[in-house]
Amino acid sequence: MTPPATQLLLPDGLAAAAVADALAAELPIVTQRAHAIERTFWDTFDGRVHGAGLALVAAAGRLVLSDAATSTEHASAPVGRTARRLFAGDLPAGPPVTEMRALTPVVRVRSRFLPINVLDDIGKIVVRLRVEEPVAQLAGKRLEPLPARLHITGVRGYDRDFERVLAHFDIALGLVAATRPVQDDAMRAAGLRAGGTSSKLKLQLDPGERADAAAVTIARRLLEIIELNLPGTLADTDSEFLHDLRVAVRRSRALQRELAGVFPPEPLRAFRDGFKHLQLITGPTRDLDVQLLEFGDLAATLPESEAADVVPLRWLLDDHLRAARAAMVRELGSDRTTGLLRNWAEVLDGLVDSDETGRPDAARPIGEVAGERIAKVYARMVKTGGRIGDDSPAAALHDLRKKGKELRYLLEFFASLYPPDVVKPMVASLKGLQDVLGRFQDREVQADLLRSLGDDVAALEGGAPALMAMGVLVQQLLAEQAAARAEFHDSFTAFAAKEQRALVKKTFAP
Amino acid sequence: MTVVAAYNIKGGVGKTSVSVNLAWLAAESGARVLLWDLDPQGAATYMLRIKPKIKGGGRKLVHGKTDPRELLKGTDHERLDLLPADFSYRNMDLALDETKRPTRRLARVIEQLAGEYDLVVLDCPPAISLASESIFEAADVLLVPLIPSPLSLRTFDQLRAFVTTQVPDPPRILAFFSMTDGRRTVHREVIESLAGDDDVLRTAIPYASAVERMAVNRRPLADFAARSRAGTAYAQLWEELRARI
Repeated sequence: MTPPATQLLLPDGLAAAAVADALAAELPIVTQRAHAIERTFWDTFDGRVHGAGLALVAAAGRLVLSDAATSTEHASAPVGRTARRLFAGDLPAGPPVTEMRALTPVVRVRSRFLPINVLDDIGKIVVRLRVEEPVAQLAGKRLEPLPARLHITGVRGYDRDFERVLAHFDIALGLVAATRPVQDDAMRAAGLRAGGTSSKLKLQLDPGERADAAAVTIARRLLEIIELNLPGTLADTDSEFLHDLRVAVRRSRALQRELAGVFPPEPLRAFRDGFKHLQLITGPTRDLDVQLLEFGDLAATLPESEAADVVPLRWLLDDHLRAARAAMVRELGSDRTTGLLRNWAEVLDGLVDSDETGRPDAARPIGEVAGERIAKVYARMVKTGGRIGDDSPAAALHDLRKKGKELRYLLEFFASLYPPDVVKPMVASLKGLQDVLGRFQDREVQADLLRSLGDDVAALEGGAPALMAMGVLVQQLLAEQAAARAEFHDSFTAFAAKEQRALVKKTFAP
Repeated sequence: MTVVAAYNIKGGVGKTSVSVNLAWLAAESGARVLLWDLDPQGAATYMLRIKPKIKGGGRKLVHGKTDPRELLKGTDHERLDLLPADFSYRNMDLALDETKRPTRRLARVIEQLAGEYDLVVLDCPPAISLASESIFEAADVLLVPLIPSPLSLRTFDQLRAFVTTQVPDPPRILAFFSMTDGRRTVHREVIESLAGDDDVLRTAIPYASAVERMAVNRRPLADFAARSRAGTAYAQLWEELRARI
């Protein structure tokens, strides 16, 4: 049972000493010596620590994971002053919210604290107060004073005193509760979003708006996601920057294909080539990222006696990843890539006002165009999926997966146009199918990748046992692929169920 | 969670002083600490400026009818809580005797607080009784303050013999010399006689007026006279004990 705690905001310009003087007249208090604390708040790019209601703070050589609202400490560990990037494994034990994302310093705050204790009639501390005067330390050594706050913390077993003191601040002084922690104030001062940077679409469209205007809204958000994730991809901060960049590229390509009728045909062809190129140049790095992210789990399937044999394979994968990444970074930094993104932005800026020749869907309501596309892609999936049998080639499942992605993206783009009780179950059944198809294809890609490394591994020192272990891993991957295939029928049946087909027709078909 | 019981059959040997000071020093070092004042006289509770009373009394507590978490009081140290004394603890033996497996009852109360604390310090009443046996079963370490006199040594030997032969899963016994006076020959001789005993800590707490002032100031030495001779000795004792537990 943690003692109650709350934070109140102090009016502008009210200094800590003035607060102490004002309190001394009303409550039996003792003021302690003021001290300063410098804290660096860490989070992932997408704000997972913040999103979990936690704070990860480095101060005085320790990294502390605590509850953001109450400051209740969950765990702590030493941290070096020069640390600039941490992963879940470096963290003090606590909720594993960060997964594979890197933690980096987000904002620095220097606070002066004045502790004031409220005493009872025999001089025992019954409530702890701390006046905090925080200053955000922004880029370029710029300092930005933040609103001062009063921390009020109860003492276990003295809840009534806590309530009494709280009521005093509320009634007598009219102070209001701080609705957000100090690090959020600091992030705002730094021009950052407190919850981190999301790579989610979060679009709000109007069914009656022009299809080309809606396409611009979607494409701009996708372009923004690409540009937000580009620096982290180039710096290799963590694997998810590249993942989110690639998803945005794939979604952009899906938009270009599915809403081709809103774009002028000729420049669109060049942009489709350009985005395809982006997809190609980032593919090998992502494949190796996935292989390495899953390497531990895969190696764990080996008998204990062979687990160490795959170490040379891991080294080789690391080498290949380094080479693939270097090539990717060159391409992403090239004039071709920067030109592609810049020109795409320019086309989007002028699209709605441009000539409608060759853009038959441009002025149609997006509700109509989107419904057509969703119904059509769904119908095509039902048709092609229904033809897949036990002896169908792997390519048939791969093709179905591609169409599934297309449908998923359409549903994400246009979710705001349709009732959630239709879209959500449809996405759920599609997700079930895509998981199966994804596992089927990913295991094949992973097995192929391992096979392609066979000669290189054999040439390494310790290569022979590694090669044998790789054989076991490939078998394991192929067994998982076969298991995924066995699940296909059930997941497809759920996706193409009669009720679902009727619902799709009713909701989306013209 | 480690349970350290400051225990001696005799009274006035420094159990409360060591309990309060070690609990405070442990909290200072970063541990989450609970001090349970089991002595109905409530001296430790008094020193921490807390009312010596618990809701429902000791009987309900050891009978499992009161949640100990609801009885805890925060002290002036943020990481030190107190389970206060209550005058009803004078009847602890009777209350325990009414239960099945009476010698397990105190351990059960403490087990309910597992996870909240790293260290539990028991300030025990001076006696050897059913309550004492319950303390022996609950504790990982019996910390025994000894006044350096031949009779104290005899009592200590009796305690060692009893605990090691009569208590299932007995606690580690660690004694230390308390209220020592280096000018007194008997004190020096008795301390010397146990110099190599592994059950006796090397740090001795000197007889000092600062210790007596704890009851006047109602604060641990570490809070008002950390650098006094006795204050320094308690800090050394905590470090030595910490290395052993």
